[in-house]
Amino acid sequence: MRPEPTGEQRELQEAVRGLLSREVDPDRLLRWENEPAACDPVLARTVAELGWIGLGLPTASGGGGADLSDVACLVEECARGLLPRPLLGAIRSADALATLDPADPLLPDLASGRGRLALALDEPGGRDPRGWKTALSGPRGARVVDGEKAYVPDAEGSDVHLVAARDGGSTAFALVDRRTPGVSVQALRGFGGDRQGHVGYRAAAVLREIAATDEALARVQRRQAALALAEMTGGMAAVLEMTVEYVKMREQFGQKIAVFQAVRHQVADMGTTFTAARHLAWQTITRIAAGAPRDVEEASAIAWVGQAFKRVCWTAHHLHGGAGFVVEHRLRFHGERAQSLCIRWAPEAPALREIAAALLD
Amino acid sequence: MDYELSPAEAAWRDEVRGFIRRNVDPGLASETRLKGNEGRGPLALRFHRALRDAGWWGIAWPKEYGGLGKSAVEQWIFIDEIESAGAPMLPLTVTSVAPTIMRVGDEQQKREWLPRINEGGIDFALGYSEPEAGTDMASIRTHAVLDGDEWVVNGQKMWNTMAHSATHNWLAVRTEPDAPRHKGLSMMIVPMDAPGVTVQPIWVWPGLRTNALFLDNVRVPRSNLIGERGAGFYYAAMALNFERLAIGSVGMGRRMFRNLVRLVRERVVDGRPLKDEPWVRERIARLAADLEAGRMLGLETAWAIDQGRMPAAESSMAKVFVSELVQRIADAGCEILGLDGQLHPEEPTALVEGRMQWLYRLAPMLAFGGGTNEVQRDIIGFLGYGLPRK
Repeated sequence: MRPEPTGEQRELQEAVRGLLSREVDPDRLLRWENEPAACDPVLARTVAELGWIGLGLPTASGGGGADLSDVACLVEECARGLLPRPLLGAIRSADALATLDPADPLLPDLASGRGRLALALDEPGGRDPRGWKTALSGPRGARVVDGEKAYVPDAEGSDVHLVAARDGGSTAFALVDRRTPGVSVQALRGFGGDRQGHVGYRAAAVLREIAATDEALARVQRRQAALALAEMTGGMAAVLEMTVEYVKMREQFGQKIAVFQAVRHQVADMGTTFTAARHLAWQTITRIAAGAPRDVEEASAIAWVGQAFKRVCWTAHHLHGGAGFVVEHRLRFHGERAQSLCIRWAPEAPALREIAAALLD
Repeated sequence: MDYELSPAEAAWRDEVRGFIRRNVDPGLASETRLKGNEGRGPLALRFHRALRDAGWWGIAWPKEYGGLGKSAVEQWIFIDEIESAGAPMLPLTVTSVAPTIMRVGDEQQKREWLPRINEGGIDFALGYSEPEAGTDMASIRTHAVLDGDEWVVNGQKMWNTMAHSATHNWLAVRTEPDAPRHKGLSMMIVPMDAPGVTVQPIWVWPGLRTNALFLDNVRVPRSNLIGERGAGFYYAAMALNFERLAIGSVGMGRRMFRNLVRLVRERVVDGRPLKDEPWVRERIARLAADLEAGRMLGLETAWAIDQGRMPAAESSMAKVFVSELVQRIADAGCEILGLDGQLHPEEPTALVEGRMQWLYRLAPMLAFGGGTNEVQRDIIGFLGYGLPRK
């Protein structure tokens, strides 16, 4: 057992921290929120050139060939430094495609930042793949996709969509050019900074199909959840750090507020929550990276870590008071991401259902 | 990053489990339950003898002191497995006092006490608290005055658990009345059969016995003052740190939870399987996730010790989290059992042997014993995050 990053992983995280501390601040994040791509094109290029997007992609596709744990280390630090969500999304959608087909010809473009991929999974009717209605049809070589996908991150800013669809009785994935006729994107104003949209596909031409099994889809989703756990621990680390700094600096009643036991104990509980969450998250990340089958501990991590991130954010808001409540404060970005990540990748109820079934049925 | 036990650690866990299979039977678990801490019964004594025969009494002691030299992670695995099996735990004499003597005692003291502890001939009660000195241990009034080659001890201790069966007391006393409060204490070993030592029972909520200890001109050899004069406050803190490694284990919580889950799977209430009740399923699932979180905190603390660190903040995190989690397990258990959850352990029809209501009565002590959770949260703030005291 070694519950801490390796030397190389630390170096990677320090490099990420250095860049993001220079390039990302609340004012820029606020400005980017109003721009179509939701991030600075120069930063997007830099991130791609540094090999962050391609870190986990096969070297033959221009990637770094790193494993999921390394990618999660990168993502954790990117989340800590508030890398814009579309760029974090680019890392995760590239991972999804490489998981399905490590030799897909689109991967080099994703690694270099020349192309961006959106992951279109959920539908207006729900999140359970068994209920998805989006379907492939048409003869070989002229396949089209029809259906609706909901809350697709980066739906408008991406170049290609990776669309989960039914193909007869089985699961398949279709790569669809976002600009191809038949694709309509309805941008949504949400929160969490990941620029979601509802997407309609009406006989939209398929660039390429990737035959997949339900197991392959589950593998993609588990890896996405693992990366979400890393995003959450990164965000939590930042929130805890900024709160510790704040209570050590802020004075009321003639003394630092950290001196008050009521404040100190809330910080202590944040620390305990973060520490437990980090280990739960990383136990699961490393197991998924090693190809282990899903276990109760994985469901426990999903059930626990997302709620922990939200709890830590709420406490941080409470301790910051008005200072952390203004839109220019970093804290509110983390708070939004906490809920957004939790809703999509770590909803508590299904995870609790899974744990209960494993123990009781 | 790696969270899996190494092959050696996994082998050690299997060895411990094998030992438990051979030496723990329902009779031992039942005796442990019925005896509470009213001395150890014959089966518990036999179990401890088996531990000694296996050479596992001092599992984490360095080999030079006759121990196994196991790592903190291996010690944690051992505690977790023993507690999970409901077997009698190693006494604090071995896990808290002896490691402190190893670190602070002089060579003669180590030679005098450690072999006898290792042979099972010495059993300590821990004498820290007093009527006016609970969490604020620096307020201790029990004092010792040097008279020739002997200390003369006078005072009173509270919550002196196991004093009625112990051979010795590990006693915090004031030896330097003119020094600042924290620097005026020393740790001393007092034989329980010394003239002037009186033990008075105190019965507490879960049916356990603790004691008040009275010391009236008790004469103790000068060499029984362990380590340096005036350093007792820090030695006691060190011993408490060792103690917390055990308190922060989720082993007992896992055992209680496992028994609860077994009952929920089998029980039918109002014609419906209890396991089909949505609220029961949710509470069970939440507790399972919490137990995993607690396990990670304990394991990380042990790992940090093996890296040569003194993880005071981490061990406090584990202590706070696990003690409060056990409260939640007890509460959920009583509610899930419903009216049946009220029955006393000795009531023949009591479910899960009445342990849920017993745990409900015990659980508050876990949060205030071994250093209150307020103090633990202070430690996390001060040592974990560098928060200022003033």
